[in-house]
Parts: sequence; structure tokens; C-alpha cells
Amino acid sequence: MIITFKINGEIKTQEIKSSLLLIDLIRDVLRLKGTKPGCLEGECGACSVIVNGAAINSCMYLAINVDGKEVTTIEGLGNNENPLHQVQEKMLENGAVQCGFCTSGMVMTTKAYSDKCIAEGITPTREEVKKSLEGNLCRCTGYAKIIDAAEAVYKK
Amino acid sequence: MNFEVISPKTTPELLNAIYDNQTENFRIGAGFTDLINQFKTQETEGLILINLTQLKDDNFKLIIENKTNFQIGALTTASEIIDNKSIKENFPVLYQAASKLASTQIRNVATVGGNICNVSPSGDMTAALIALKATCHIIDCDGNERKELLSSFIRGLKKTSLTKKEIIKNITIPKNAGQNLKSGFEKVGSRKSMEISIVSLAYHLQLTNDGIITHAGVACGAVAPTIPFTTSACEFLIEKNINTISENDKEEFAIKVLEYANPISDIRASDWYRKEVLFNVSKTIFGK
Repeated sequence: MIITFKINGEIKTQEIKSSLLLIDLIRDVLRLKGTKPGCLEGECGACSVIVNGAAINSCMYLAINVDGKEVTTIEGLGNNENPLHQVQEKMLENGAVQCGFCTSGMVMTTKAYSDKCIAEGITPTREEVKKSLEGNLCRCTGYAKIIDAAEAVYKK
Repeated sequence: MNFEVISPKTTPELLNAIYDNQTENFRIGAGFTDLINQFKTQETEGLILINLTQLKDDNFKLIIENKTNFQIGALTTASEIIDNKSIKENFPVLYQAASKLASTQIRNVATVGGNICNVSPSGDMTAALIALKATCHIIDCDGNERKELLSSFIRGLKKTSLTKKEIIKNITIPKNAGQNLKSGFEKVGSRKSMEISIVSLAYHLQLTNDGIITHAGVACGAVAPTIPFTTSACEFLIEKNINTISENDKEEFAIKVLEYANPISDIRASDWYRKEVLFNVSKTIFGK
């Protein structure tokens, strides 16, 4: 099956097996290794990527369903001028990265949520920020700093 | 996983796909948050997947306000339910159930139709819809249409009245008689996020300005093979005043809810615990 989609700003046409999962398209076919395979059953959020503005678990998403859509992975957040996205800057500033395995998922979920909040003109409360990250697990138990970082995105 | 996928773009294409594959082993998928996990643990060789993600039909996708009801497309996601102002205002029970379901990533893709057709006793949006006396609108590949109350559409554990020829197009919820509501979704689990309910209680009470209950819908999840609509408990509440309801009446209501519970003991909780929790949660829906 042939699909055409945008990934990190670049249009790609790719022949894939119809039962291929998005995480396998991203990691094994496109060789973008920043998206992490964690539980592979939708619990941990390490594989989170953004499809048409919404964070999703790429381990439970069929690759054929990105046909005609726009996918952003962690690799798509930086460019030469700005190597790190604001969410990544805040993660660094707040010491929110320990082993780093959950980090790209945390960043992608936070980016999607902050884009939505900014578009709607909302500054979320700490509780709302926490809720936005309920689908992301950190096995290093670094939640306090991760939530601090996600909250700092809204502070001037 | 190794299966063939058909991705209909229109409803006629969808119905043709169902018609053409009557003798085959096929599954229908929308958000895939349950189905992919099932596929990962079973043989999928020879399986045909009818993929609804690319279907473009407003009757399946939109939330529409009609004269007497709200119509919710089967492919509406939990996130779309949460973002819809009319749902939040008119049916807090459904808004809260969708908000408490799994995680952002799952809510962004998981659909109402999928939550219903997965027929889990702990289906959060399904429990809310049962409390709201929702009706399923079903079409089949021979061109027939039928309606069935959601509470009777679900026939048992993992069983619905849906035949191999049929698919749910949308769900309708009758409009509220007035503005005064006591409506909510209580979900009890061992943690707040990504939780499958140990017990859930969906309630939607309509009140007069003085607080007299005129309509009541209460359903309980994860305590029986299906999600029962607690008819006798609901009837008991009619004409009671929510502001002055006595402790005895609250208990009697909770006892009536409990009559519908027939829980199992499993990895999440024992049957005894589920009953205790259901009883205590039922008493608290009236507020302090």
C-alpha cells in the first residue's frame, strides 16, 4: 500500500505493509529513533508523536492512517536556528530529564497540549498540566520536575 | 501482525466492504486503542480489517443538535466529546466520563462507537450513555436501518445485538426537559490516570427549580457482566427533593443500585470491595 504524508515538514511517499504500525514506520523505515518503544500497549506514552496537532500513541496507530496527514516526531521540533523547542528548553532548565527514555514522549505530549492552550488563549493550572501528562510514565519517578517544566512553558 | 486492510472513504464503500466480506473473518476498527492490542496477542493471518479512520461521512463523525435529541457520530473521539460545549453543558455525565477515560493520547483517537462495541463492563462513555438513555442507530449492508436503546443493545459480556452485516452509525441522546441538572460520573480506581474502573457510577438527574427530581438515569459500571441501567433505583428518586433528601432515602437508593450489581473478583478488586464501593459512591451523588 502506498501512502503520502508529511513528516517533520517533509512530504514523503512510502510503500508499506497495510498492518504496519506507525511506530515501526517511524523507527524502522524512516530510521527516526527518537520515538521510543516502551510498553507497546498504550500505557506509557514513550512512543507519543503528534498527528495533525494531536498527541497519539504511535504503538497503537496504523501507519496507513497517516496518509494525507502531518506527523511530527521529536526530530521535527528543532532546526538550525533553534535547535531546541521551548518545551525542550524548559525540560533542561528544570532538570526534568533523568534516564531520558520517557523524555521525547513527554515533550511531544507537552508540545501538543501547549499548542492547544496557546491557540485557545488558556493558561492551564498545575492540575491541568498534570492531567495533560497522565498518559506518560516516567520510571525514574521524576514527575515533579517534569510537571515543573511543562508548567514553565506558560510562564513568561 | 499480518492482516489485510480495507479503508472505505464513503458509507456506500463501507457497506460494500461489509457485504463483500460476509464469508470472511473481518473486524471493524476506528481508534484501534483496544483492537491493536487484541491483534498483537492473536493470530491475524487471513484477517481482514475494515478501517474506519478514513471514512468521511458527517453522520458518523459529527455531534449534531436536532430538535428532540443530540446526535453523536459513532466515530466521534473522546476528545471531541470533551471539546463540545453543548455536551459539557447538557450532559456533564458524558463530559466527565470522556475526561476520565485513559489518557490524552488515547482520548484523541478512541471513539464512542468503539467504546460501545468493545462491550466492556468498565466502558466509561458507554456507562454515561446508558444513564442518558441513549439510542443506537444501526445500518446494515442490505440498506436496512434500525434503532435500539443502548441498554438493550448490549446483551451480555462482550455481546451486543449487532449482526455481522451491521454497524453503528450514530447514537442519539434525548434532550433534557429543563436546565437544572445533577449529573456526573464517579470513577473509582487505584489511581487517577490510565485507569480501568473498579467501579463507576454514571448519573443524570433532571430537577425542577426547587430541586424535585423529575427524570433520573443511573447506570453502574464494572460491577456486572453488562452496564445495568438501575431502573428501580431511578424510579425511587422521582419526586424526591435533592436538597432535602434524607439519609435513609440515600441509603435506600444505594441499596436499590446495589441490587443490579453482580461483580466478579479479579486482579483489580474483589467482588466484596466493588459492592462496598458502589454502595458508598451511590449515597454521595446528592452532594453534602
